[in-house]
Amino acid sequence: MGGTGLGAAVPATAPAPARPRRGTRHWDLLLIVTGAPYGSDMLTTALRLAQAVLRRGGSVRIWACGYTTMVTQTHLGELKPPNLRHPDRPYPSMPTVVRQLLAGFPGQVGWIGCTACSGERGATHHIEEVRLRSPARFAQTIAASTRTIFIGGA
Amino acid sequence: MGFTALAVLDRAYRGAVEGQYFDALYGVQEFHALLGRIDLALRGLAVTLAAPEGGYRPALDIGQSTFDTLPDYRGSVQRMAEEGIVVMADEGDLVRLGFDPAKVVPGVQVVDTTELATRWPDYDGVWFL
Repeated sequence: MGGTGLGAAVPATAPAPARPRRGTRHWDLLLIVTGAPYGSDMLTTALRLAQAVLRRGGSVRIWACGYTTMVTQTHLGELKPPNLRHPDRPYPSMPTVVRQLLAGFPGQVGWIGCTACSGERGATHHIEEVRLRSPARFAQTIAASTRTIFIGGA
Repeated sequence: MGFTALAVLDRAYRGAVEGQYFDALYGVQEFHALLGRIDLALRGLAVTLAAPEGGYRPALDIGQSTFDTLPDYRGSVQRMAEEGIVVMADEGDLVRLGFDPAKVVPGVQVVDTTELATRWPDYDGVWFL
């Protein structure tokens, strides 16, 4: 019987929950954001939530998955295209917003870009502040956080 | 008069921080200027864009900065009405969501659901945004 080429067989028993490696940093909150931007206020809500936790001194990691990987692409530049109704007013791009979040709370916040979702969408040119991580490390990342909130659709 | 269209907006709140000015209301204003006449019908949750709301501030704290370029939906609706764009809000949806149809953003016309549908043939096109 030949293989299907679709990957390894599913194990008969569920794997044990991932444990953080010894010495791995622990975070207060992990926000897994998977839904598409420009479709709802999901991303705005996630950023508000992150900001609130950070203001209280907590630590937050954001795992950008799915189409959320698009918002940290370098080609978006620092500013959005001009508003034709207010052409002189600058509007920050999403990479700028993410940079401001990270710069505002050094050491307290991290932004992860999912490599699989980025590759699937051709979104492979992230700003340098984004740490790329394979979905193979998903469970480990969850285990390294006290709380995990999963926001959005696939 | 050039091309006319009725733009029907059912879904609101599609990304404040990423969209900022670039939302459906911006599109209606630009198409209105380009094509001739685009009227706007707010239905569903989008009727809330015509409901006055005093506490909203189009700003968001991010890091140590405040971004004050978030969308001002109700301000946009009011400006559109002032600039001559016909803006209608579905009366039934306003009531269903607990709003008083008599208290909408100035210039917005509150229209019965069925009456709104009977107006579709008046336009060259009906667009669902």
